[in-house]
Amino acid sequence: MLFTGIRMSRENGAIGPKNGQLMGLTAPDFELQAIDGSSLKLSHLKGKAVLLNFWATYCEPCKVEMPWFVELQKQYGPQGLQIVGVAMDDAATEDIVKFAKDMGVNYPILLGKEAVSVTYGGVNVLPTTFFLDRNGKVIAREFGLQSRSVFVNHIKEALGQGGTVQAQK
Amino acid sequence: MKRLRLTLACAFLVTAWASAQEEFGPKGPVVTMAPAPVITAVQAKPTTVPLSFQVASGYHINSNHPKSEYLIPTALKVEATTDIVVGKIVYPDGQDMSFAFAPDEKLNVYTGDFKVDVVVHPLRSVEPGKYVVRGSLKYQACDNTACYPPKTLQVSFDVRVKKTPPAHAANPAQSPHAHQ
Repeated sequence: MLFTGIRMSRENGAIGPKNGQLMGLTAPDFELQAIDGSSLKLSHLKGKAVLLNFWATYCEPCKVEMPWFVELQKQYGPQGLQIVGVAMDDAATEDIVKFAKDMGVNYPILLGKEAVSVTYGGVNVLPTTFFLDRNGKVIAREFGLQSRSVFVNHIKEALGQGGTVQAQK
Repeated sequence: MKRLRLTLACAFLVTAWASAQEEFGPKGPVVTMAPAPVITAVQAKPTTVPLSFQVASGYHINSNHPKSEYLIPTALKVEATTDIVVGKIVYPDGQDMSFAFAPDEKLNVYTGDFKVDVVVHPLRSVEPGKYVVRGSLKYQACDNTACYPPKTLQVSFDVRVKKTPPAHAANPAQSPHAHQ
């Protein structure tokens, strides 16, 4: 029974930690190039609450969330929130730049790498969003499109404002 | 013994729960191909090979002509062979559908069963016999709330090449009746 469970678990993910296992742990650090040519190291954001959103240009549900993230960055940025997008597609950088511009994105968009995805449990579902508290610990993660209120709750919790966290999938 | 059983049962439940946490999205390939029929083609004549695919229930993939430049079209790539020329690949029209994540937007997609026709054209010089043609179908799937990275499905089908039949009484001079 136990082995079956372990095998099932392995078959459903990439090599590396399951992203459920990241809960409560310090988010794996990475440094990635942003679409503006700069680079961003996650650990440099310590002290801020971070919403880390893995997305792709081909992902229509991701497109729905992005305008919310723009608003949430405006609303909660002054309180210490930093939204970070990680583009996980093979599209040309100029296409990602154009997409982000069309969406009016006001937060850093990084060019994702498989190696980073693996450290987050192999991001095979887009969008996948992690919420990190001010100490860089993973406090929540969501697979697929969620309602805006779910994001707000997690953001408040990440900021230390006591959001009501809903059950994880 | 009871304690051991209880411990094992608890361990299983915890593992299964952890596993269930990760079970989001397709567990197997979203697109599968039905076994292709062996197609008989005649030397130097084009023949259509119908390939049947199925999209798993609850998922959709983009058609060959999605409505946005950012969407990844479903595309079949057939490897060139030295004996059989691969001609036109004919894709079905997609369905315009709206999904829960964007009810006001229509995407052009394939769901359920769809068929792609491949035209093969054996060269006149090809030896009669059975040939395997290989290719791959690239697709990118989504469901109602999420999308999944592009995948490639390996595809193959057999073409049995027959000799060009002899000209059929086209030239009366060669007809046996002409000598009677």
